[in-house]
Amino acid sequence: MTATSTAPSRPAGASAPISPVPAKRRKRTWRLHLLLIVAALLTAFPFYAMVALSLQPGEAVELPGSLLPTAPSFGAYAEAMGSRSIPTWALNSTIYSVVSVFLVLLFASMAGYAFAKKRFFGRELIFWVFVAMLMLPYHLTIIPQYLVVSELDGLNTMWGMILPTIANAQAMFLMRQFIQDIPDELIDAARIDGAGEFRIYWTIILPQTKPIMATLGTFVFLWHWNDFLWPLVSQQSPTNYVLTVGLSSMQEQEAPLATIMAGSVITFIPALLVFIVLQRYFVRGVMMSGIK
Amino acid sequence: MATISAPSPELRKERRRRVLTSKTALAAYVFIGPYVVFFTIFRIIPALYGMMLSLGDYKLNGTFELLGLDNFERLFADPIFWNALRATGVYAFVAIPLTVAISLAMAQLCNRVLRGMSFYRSIFFLPVVTSPVLSGLVFVWIFSPDGPLNWVLDGVGIGGVNWLQSSFWVLPSLALVSAWMNFGYNMLILLAGMLAIPIDYYEAASLDGANSWQRFRNVTMPLLKPALFFVLVLETVKSFQVFDTIYVMTSGGPVRASYTLTYMIYDQGFGYFDFGYASAAGVVLLVITLIFSLIQRRLVGRSA
Repeated sequence: MTATSTAPSRPAGASAPISPVPAKRRKRTWRLHLLLIVAALLTAFPFYAMVALSLQPGEAVELPGSLLPTAPSFGAYAEAMGSRSIPTWALNSTIYSVVSVFLVLLFASMAGYAFAKKRFFGRELIFWVFVAMLMLPYHLTIIPQYLVVSELDGLNTMWGMILPTIANAQAMFLMRQFIQDIPDELIDAARIDGAGEFRIYWTIILPQTKPIMATLGTFVFLWHWNDFLWPLVSQQSPTNYVLTVGLSSMQEQEAPLATIMAGSVITFIPALLVFIVLQRYFVRGVMMSGIK
Repeated sequence: MATISAPSPELRKERRRRVLTSKTALAAYVFIGPYVVFFTIFRIIPALYGMMLSLGDYKLNGTFELLGLDNFERLFADPIFWNALRATGVYAFVAIPLTVAISLAMAQLCNRVLRGMSFYRSIFFLPVVTSPVLSGLVFVWIFSPDGPLNWVLDGVGIGGVNWLQSSFWVLPSLALVSAWMNFGYNMLILLAGMLAIPIDYYEAASLDGANSWQRFRNVTMPLLKPALFFVLVLETVKSFQVFDTIYVMTSGGPVRASYTLTYMIYDQGFGYFDFGYASAAGVVLLVITLIFSLIQRRLVGRSA
């Protein structure tokens, strides 16, 4: 996959100097803009619809009126936030995502460091078992995973939902790749200075992994925030739902469309903020997944 | 590489002993320890357990009876299973080409130096960071009989249909949602591949009088093959494993028209608590996924 691995060496803006567009090319640029604008509008339409419908409480969802709320009202948001469920689900989603991010980053970086920089008996075997597990479809393992968590009395608990997701082979794999490129001299120098194993990991390795931490953290957060199947099967009581499961249960109970859409907007905003702030890392993560 | 000449067996044994007991090896085990524990409990045991479950009957009181291939015999005699295979196949058949074609077109469109390009690209990524559940909830409305899609179709004089209630249109409708959700991700991978192609090739092609289509066909496409292959595999796996949007938008309906293999696993497992039967369907999904990735590897490997 050399084609993708060299990609970062030529960023988009660098391929040609930005010069005034010659007159004969201006028309083509204009056409390109038009195409891009149409594509962007089509892509953005569902988001617009989400917001427009959420501002339109009551039953009237007649087109095109409902897409241009004449008297926008935040009633649906007040109702969504006023109910006990949505704030509880939001809290559950936050715990599920944030705690998972920290644990995945901690354990993946520890294991990645050992796999990258240490020689020990069984290293190759353990590593390839991990990587081979990436090939298994998740749906084959979800039932036995449910039974294992049930055996450990973890159903309907937060830890029972979080712990299985920590065994993230992809995260460890990326960490290992990244840590391999950290020069051994840094580690040797620290060792000569008398640093212990844990100190080397904590003060030398971890600070070096910031870019990959941000990349992985963004991915793991979004993955957990948007996750559905595992929270759906592992949590039975509505007070334990995460937002995605809660919203789908609201739909099953035929809650008003405006309330569901208000809940959707509330669910989307944290993902959007994480994406806006960490966009650069997210993009890097996608590129790296292409290299694999 | 570290060895200059082949070490004697004694030396090798000694070295292995040192590797095993040295302080760094001990530390290494401590560092991978938590990972190995979690991984064993929540991935390896379930994977083996899943294969075993498919060979028996798991009762809700926790007892397990080994039955051999009974679940598979039942599966192959079950019209619901063949229906699920068909639905999965039709969905993949629509979703994969649709998504890959849109991704490729959008990557080509975005591979320009243009004012505002990063803004456009950000818009195209937004669906990727959106939960499939949210996408499903909005698209239920977009596809509803008097939703925006039919409103537009009415406007241009084409009679709309009840997309999600039509057993013919439900899978293409779901495939369209998947294309909307995933094209941004693929576009980025293809874009990275396109940016890695040296500009010189395009300049040489231009000097030879190649127009933009010929440049795309003869320079971009062959050099983009690895990235394109990756995207194809990614989309295949995704389309065989589609679940969230189906759960939210159709619950497998109407009359099992969108009852795919993954939905069947969920329904048999957590709807009927027939874990053995659901796991057998899971093993079939595993086999199909493996076969397809082998076929793709073969096809692309040969023509590359």
